[in-house]
Amino acid sequence: MEAKISDYLDGTLSKSEVAAFERQLSADDDFRKEVEEFKILFEAIKTEETVAPSKRLATNFERMLQEEKNNQVKVISLPSKPSKGIAQVFRVAASIAILVGSFFMGRYFESRETQETMALVQGEQLELKQTTMISLMENQSASKRIQGVQFIDEFPEPDEAIVEALAERMLTDDNTNVRLTAVEALSRFTQSEQVKAFFIQALQTEKDPSIQVTLIKILVDMQEKKAIAPMRELLEKEDTQPFIKEEINSLLPKII
Amino acid sequence: MNEQNDEQLMAEVAHGNLDMLQILFNRHHRHVYNFLFKMTGDKMLSEDLTQDVFYKVIKYKTTYNNGSFISWLFTIARNSLKTHFTRNKEVHGDLESVTYRIGEEDRTEDYSHLHKALQQLEASDREVVILNRFQGIRYQELAEIMETTPGAVKTKMSRALKKLKTIYLQTI
Repeated sequence: MEAKISDYLDGTLSKSEVAAFERQLSADDDFRKEVEEFKILFEAIKTEETVAPSKRLATNFERMLQEEKNNQVKVISLPSKPSKGIAQVFRVAASIAILVGSFFMGRYFESRETQETMALVQGEQLELKQTTMISLMENQSASKRIQGVQFIDEFPEPDEAIVEALAERMLTDDNTNVRLTAVEALSRFTQSEQVKAFFIQALQTEKDPSIQVTLIKILVDMQEKKAIAPMRELLEKEDTQPFIKEEINSLLPKII
Repeated sequence: MNEQNDEQLMAEVAHGNLDMLQILFNRHHRHVYNFLFKMTGDKMLSEDLTQDVFYKVIKYKTTYNNGSFISWLFTIARNSLKTHFTRNKEVHGDLESVTYRIGEEDRTEDYSHLHKALQQLEASDREVVILNRFQGIRYQELAEIMETTPGAVKTKMSRALKKLKTIYLQTI
């Protein structure tokens, strides 16, 4: 019952509870005294004046609030700026474009550089091969010279210097085998006018019958009309081997 | 605008509308101040602490969980008080030993008889009496503030009031 004193004094008890409480009150003097004392205390609490804070508190609060608002403006202004709809989308699009653009640009330059480097390396390699080939062809040893001539395999499209070096072997080399190999090497480039001219020149100067036969066959295959005159000359020459003359006689009509 | 309840206003503050805090301040700063004054008996200190409470409301506004604003506000106030006494080493532990020594300090501030009686209560008893009887905070909210149950608060409350009554009537 004691626990209900404050509820009773506050008026928060239900009707039946109040009735029970008041019955106890009239029956029990000690209890009544207790309640009376509480009543005094509650009255004191009720009449206790609330203390008003000085104006300093409100002033300080307002200043602090203003400062916080200012700080907040600074903080908020940053995220609010970039959230301007389309501009934001464009910004994102632009950055993606730059990213993609730079990627492809980088790749393009990279590949170009690689190609240039490759070309340079290949060029250097080719130059080196050419030097090797030419130096081999000028070697004392005939077999080395043959090896040099056979180096032509490395050059699908030989330049003038190589052709001239080969022609020189074909026309002037002391060794028959070297000359023959040079003829065979040059026979791959029959499309070249320069090579044709060299063959005709060789036909006129060559004394070795085996090389003569090879030259005749090549020139006939090429259908080279300019070769007809030197071939006739060979027929008329006395020191020409008879079987060469036979060969010319059989092949000459094939040049139309 | 003034008709919005505390919780709605605080929700707006939490979302950055700091102007609403002015209304909340106007409504509650006296309660907070009186609570602190009754707890400490020091007007200047209570003003500073009240200021600090509202500063913390802004600082921790995002942690407001949409519960009772009063509970939240007085939780902050209690913590501010605790922090203050811990910092000033007048306390060895927690609020339990926050004892205000009226007799030791000859203050010019005139305290009511009830105020003096309150100071003789233990801090935790004083606290519930002040919050409930003076600031009108209900048991439910008190339970939230003190992280206990309304029943436990009510029991503590009855005992504290009985002690206060005895002290008050003895010294009257």
